[in-house]
Amino acid sequence: MNLAFTPPTRTTPIPMKSNRFALAPAAWLLGAALMTCAPSALPAPAFSLAWSEYPSWSAFGVAHVFKLIDGREGQTGPVEDKWGVDIVLKEAEYDPCLTMYGSGQCDAVCMTTLDALNPALGRPSVVIVPTSTSAGADALIVPKTITNIKQLRGRKVYGLAKSVSEYCFNRNLELLGERPEDYKYSNMDPGAAAVALQQKQREIEAIIVWNPFVLETLNKRKDVHVLFDSTTIPNEIIDSVVMAQASLDKPGGRQFACAVVDAFYQINQRLAEPATRDDTLIALGEKFSHLDLASMKKVVEQTRFYATPKAALDLFTGAELKAVTGRVVDFCVKQEIVSSAPKIGYGSQAEAGAVALRFDPAFIRAVAEKK
Amino acid sequence: MIRRPIKSSTAAFLGVLSVLLLLGGYTFLAHRQYQRNPDDTTIPRWSQLHKGLQSAIEVNRRSEDRWLVVDAVASGQRLFLGLAGGVAASLLLGLAMGCFTPIEAFLHPPLSLLAKVPPTAALAVFFVLVGTGNNMYVAMIAFGVLPTMTLTVNLAVKEFPDELLYKAYTLGASHMEVVWTIIFRQVLPRFIDAFRLSIGPAMVYLIAAEMVVGDVGFGYRIRLQSKLLNMSVVYPYLAILAAFGFGMDSLLRLLQRKLCPWYEPRR
Repeated sequence: MNLAFTPPTRTTPIPMKSNRFALAPAAWLLGAALMTCAPSALPAPAFSLAWSEYPSWSAFGVAHVFKLIDGREGQTGPVEDKWGVDIVLKEAEYDPCLTMYGSGQCDAVCMTTLDALNPALGRPSVVIVPTSTSAGADALIVPKTITNIKQLRGRKVYGLAKSVSEYCFNRNLELLGERPEDYKYSNMDPGAAAVALQQKQREIEAIIVWNPFVLETLNKRKDVHVLFDSTTIPNEIIDSVVMAQASLDKPGGRQFACAVVDAFYQINQRLAEPATRDDTLIALGEKFSHLDLASMKKVVEQTRFYATPKAALDLFTGAELKAVTGRVVDFCVKQEIVSSAPKIGYGSQAEAGAVALRFDPAFIRAVAEKK
Repeated sequence: MIRRPIKSSTAAFLGVLSVLLLLGGYTFLAHRQYQRNPDDTTIPRWSQLHKGLQSAIEVNRRSEDRWLVVDAVASGQRLFLGLAGGVAASLLLGLAMGCFTPIEAFLHPPLSLLAKVPPTAALAVFFVLVGTGNNMYVAMIAFGVLPTMTLTVNLAVKEFPDELLYKAYTLGASHMEVVWTIIFRQVLPRFIDAFRLSIGPAMVYLIAAEMVVGDVGFGYRIRLQSKLLNMSVVYPYLAILAAFGFGMDSLLRLLQRKLCPWYEPRR
């Protein structure tokens, strides 16, 4: 069902033409009855959030496990009750999440801001919260015999095409004064690339992948090392929750956004408190990979969470974000990820005007204030 | 009465009508989606599909090649090599199993087990054993179609009537003559049927593998373009796959009629 464009459900039945007048008072009475008992009897408006396994996005799955929210339709947890909405969680692989969101099958989705540009062209979208940034979670792994990037010229580098991996690769080349055209970036699923490198397959020498594949590969092959990674480009690869503007405009839409943000910070609080930290980390890592607790600690270091409203607001209201997003848009246009550069806006709808993708700090603020 | 025959013109009309209804339904869906959101690319209209197909045929600005050409060459090569290997091996194995009982006793248990393992589920096993180069696709398709096809050929050989066998021996044929000039010919049409039925699964294996490790090919392009929501490229690709499968099927049926004019497939 196409949730985004479905008109609101009628609360009164449509009477047949012949007895329209006969039924009108009854319909009116029914409507009045519904209105008087609305707060308790009507179910909270339901919105769906599609997410895939990734440290900062698994927070929503974990919030369901810890009963902060209830991801099933028609069931609510304390955070949902606080905001009067029903969060419906839809778990899928990352790529299907993007397709689901782009085709209007869900109201909000967990994705990187880079991947948000393309769906935003067809479905105006709002970044409601940044969840984490890659600070080492994307890395180029090569044998230790390769110590200079120039040695890779003309050789194939494997990673997912038109993704944050390719962005990270190109950006690092630029920072090193190299031209991406001199390198052969070749498409391969990161999981498959990691396995190939771990097996020492002859044709696969250089891979650029993300976690858990970075840590797994480094754990399993001692003769490889990281040539460069995303620590050189902090706050550029941003994992976030993106919501459709049309869904935000529906009754309860803004409350849903707040509830999602609230749930995220509550999980971050559990991560911050020593008493619940390890337990939460293990829960986050459960389906992410078979990495142990020590490795998971490394993972959340390399996938740096925007753990507090302050960290997120600093990002959203800072000057750096605009420069970074400009670079990301340029990259996406050059790589033909988007057919045209989408208009980007910052702040509320009134401030930004009609744009394809908007970074809105309002929901983070609302959650911070309601505490 | 059920199964009452109809005129061939009526049958043709009904066939065309159902295809037209399908196309009409799609046009309606695309139009409705366009009215809801003109920027939507998930249910493209015909004009968008035309553009998508064009971008697949034109020389791409960045990669300086034609997507459809490089994809067709890569996928076609993988598919035909894989099918050729799998089909040739299963013909030999199936004949050997059908003719020589020890070989059948030896091969039947593992083959009937392997026939039940979907190769798409064993994708990771193929990466591990054969790497991620072109060999992997070929191996996956070959081993994917081999067990079922071998068993089909084996069954066909076993159904070969004993009277004909005795007759051939009485007329003085050697073992090899019986196998090649009598049994092989009898089994050929059934073998072609099995071949036809294995094209579908072979395409499934190929696309699944290309979606994960391909850097060129139909599966690669479809995954990438679906992620980018360019359904105007994805749908023409699907149509081409359908046309290709249909064409292969018709070709093989034609071949069957030419090579075995005596064969009357049971309805």
